[in-house]
Amino acid sequence: MRDPLVLNQKHARFQALCQSLRPDLLRFALWLSRDRAVAEDVVQESLLRAWKARDTLEDEKAAKPWLLTIIRREYARTFERKRLTTVNLDDLVASEEPGLAASDAQELAELRLAIFKLPVEYREPLILQVLMGCSTAEIAEQLNLSTGAVLTRLFRARRQLRVLCGEDTSLDPEE
Amino acid sequence: MTACTAYRRALLSDPRELPEELLAHGRECADCTAFAERAARFEARLEGAMRLNWTHDRAAAAGALPEAAAGSEADVIPLRRDAAGVGVHAAARVPAPAGRSRWFAVAATFALAAATLGLLWIAVPRTSIAGDVVTHMADEPAAWAVTDAAVSAAQLDAVLRDTHMRLEEGAGVVSYASSCEFRGHRVPHLVVQDASGPVTVMVLVHESVRTPVEFDEQHYRGVILPVPAHGSIAVLTRNQLVDQAAIERIAKRVENAIAWTG
Repeated sequence: MRDPLVLNQKHARFQALCQSLRPDLLRFALWLSRDRAVAEDVVQESLLRAWKARDTLEDEKAAKPWLLTIIRREYARTFERKRLTTVNLDDLVASEEPGLAASDAQELAELRLAIFKLPVEYREPLILQVLMGCSTAEIAEQLNLSTGAVLTRLFRARRQLRVLCGEDTSLDPEE
Repeated sequence: MTACTAYRRALLSDPRELPEELLAHGRECADCTAFAERAARFEARLEGAMRLNWTHDRAAAAGALPEAAAGSEADVIPLRRDAAGVGVHAAARVPAPAGRSRWFAVAATFALAAATLGLLWIAVPRTSIAGDVVTHMADEPAAWAVTDAAVSAAQLDAVLRDTHMRLEEGAGVVSYASSCEFRGHRVPHLVVQDASGPVTVMVLVHESVRTPVEFDEQHYRGVILPVPAHGSIAVLTRNQLVDQAAIERIAKRVENAIAWTG
């Protein structure tokens, strides 16, 4: 029989872990879904699933990729359950960061719009890398791709973003 | 594929894990160095853009903290908002246990209280200064904008006044200045524009370290320098292409530009 105190400590650690990762999980879900309400629902359901399956997580260091997998699956389920409405990207970007100074807000808004415009196959690995800090190998495992394919998608994602944002791309390497 | 092409392609694919031979090429090739600097600035903007400020989430997260027995299911489940916008637990549906004898309930209460105290002792995070600085940075994406525009002297003075210091010109362009809550004190949070991108400085007069503390956490790399009689300063960057020695040079430059007035 498992010691209840040890079990409680493990659950408390799991809870603290979820709380610390939650802001980034919400951001990940928003970049994926492009809808704040959907992102909140997906993360809520995912954390509920994670809590119910918490005893299957043997290594706390694996919590982040484990939670990301749950969120990706939950998002896919959401997608299957209902046809998501079309998102007006300009409205979506305008609804974020109202407190920034005008010039910063303009620059961030342009970049965010460009990120939202990326096809999901380029957007998702980029979010996993830049926002969630995943290595190429971790992204490959999440997306069930080879590391070469992940690197190609990341390269294309950044190239498209740089073009969309009017960056100087004259020295960028070709495909 | 030429070395230049390979280096630039790697910068646009995985700038945080460049192989040593490509890093060496980047140091030797002037064109690629210039390309890397531009790419680093873009990367900093990209991360700033992705770190959306989920402000209303904080209240929900705070509301979802333990309020009943430690480790109960309700603790970890995030809040749903009801029609009035008030956070309610989505899974607040667990029926109260019935049929327990009173003595068992009392004993269980004492046992739970003892377990909770034990848990608090074990589970309360003993965070480092560096960890707290990094956590603070993650909540302020606006501070990482790349810009040539400096804050006004009046704004800078207002932020620095209570810390009894002023910043001389040697620090560089200060593009952001804010008085922030940190570990129970208001501290100056500045952003200095460096050639490598924005560098954040926090003046921590209430936090002392005996020797420089280097850190590399959650994509933030930096150092906390002791400042005799004035606590410490934390200097950090998100540009992973900037090595620790360069960060220390920037930190020293900022430290030398501080004039203490009290």
